[in-house]
Amino acid sequence: MSRGNAILLAIVIAIALITVAAASVLHDGLSSRAKPTALESMLARNARRLAIPAGARKLQNPAAETPENLRDARLHFADHCAVCHANDGSGDTAIGRGLYPKPPDLRREETQKLADGELFWIIENGVRFTGMPAFGGAQGSEQDSWKLVRFIRHLPQLTEEERMEMERYNLKGPEDLEEEQEENDFLRGAPMQQKPEGTHHH
Amino acid sequence: MKTKLCILIAIAALAASVALAHGDKKHVVGTLEKINADSVVVKTATGKSVEVKLVASTMYVSHAGNEDKPAKLSDLAVGDRVVIHATPKGETLEASEVKFSAPGAAASAVKPKS
Repeated sequence: MSRGNAILLAIVIAIALITVAAASVLHDGLSSRAKPTALESMLARNARRLAIPAGARKLQNPAAETPENLRDARLHFADHCAVCHANDGSGDTAIGRGLYPKPPDLRREETQKLADGELFWIIENGVRFTGMPAFGGAQGSEQDSWKLVRFIRHLPQLTEEERMEMERYNLKGPEDLEEEQEENDFLRGAPMQQKPEGTHHH
Repeated sequence: MKTKLCILIAIAALAASVALAHGDKKHVVGTLEKINADSVVVKTATGKSVEVKLVASTMYVSHAGNEDKPAKLSDLAVGDRVVIHATPKGETLEASEVKFSAPGAAASAVKPKS
C-alpha cells in the first residue's frame, strides 16, 4: 500500500470512529433522560478505571465490620447518598432516574467487583461528568467514606427493617414532611383528607 | 465538615427543586376495597376506586401506633386503611410501597383517654 493510500485509509477510519462516537454520545438530542449506549458505558467505565490511581486499589478498609459502623454508614448513606442512589442502592429515585449517566445499581456486580480502595476513591474524589460529587477533603471524611464502603458491601443483604429505619433519615422538604404526617394520621384513624387525585410527589 | 455540609445543602436544594418539578410517584390514600393476587383496589376520599398493580418489588409496611413493621401481601385485609406510593406505568399504577393499618388498630389509636 502506498503512503498516500495509507493516509487516506487512516483518515477514513478516523472519520468513521468519530461518527460512531458522536452518534453514541449525541443520541436523543443530549437529553439526560436517555440511557447511555453500550459503547458509551464501556468507554466511561474504562475511563473511570484509568482515572483511579493504581495505589488506591490496594488500600485496605480500616473500618471494622461492626454493627455500629454499619449503622453509622447506613444512616449517613440515608441522608447524604439516598437522594440519588435510593436507600437500597438501586438508584431508583426521581433524581437518579433523571441523571445522565444514571447512578449505577450499587448491589450489582459492576459495583461490587470494584476493590474497597476503588469505592473509597470514588466517594472521596467523585466522578467527573457525572452526578457523583467528591465528598473528600473534610476532616473525618476518610473514616466516613471507609464506613460507607462497608455499607455498600452490605447493600445486597439490606433488610426491610434497615430500609425502614433509613427512611426516617432521608432528606425531606417541608411539604413532604407535612404530607407524611397527614398520611400517618390517616393510618392512625384520622378522617381522610380530600385531595385532587393524580398529584405528583417525590 | 463545612465543605460536606455545603455539599449536603446543595444536594438538598437540588432534591427539593427536582422533587417539586419532576415528581413521578403518586400517593393513593384510602381504604382497601378488593385484594387480588397482583393488584389491589383502593376507595379514595373522593369515592373513586383506584386499581394499583402489585409487583415482586412491592414492599409492605404495617403501621400500628407510631411504629412501622415489615409485612407481606397476605397481611392485607379488605377495609384496611392504606397509603400506597405508586409509579405510573402507562395507564396503570405500580405500587412500590403499601403502608397499611387495620381499622381496629386505627380506631384505638385515636380513641380519647378516659
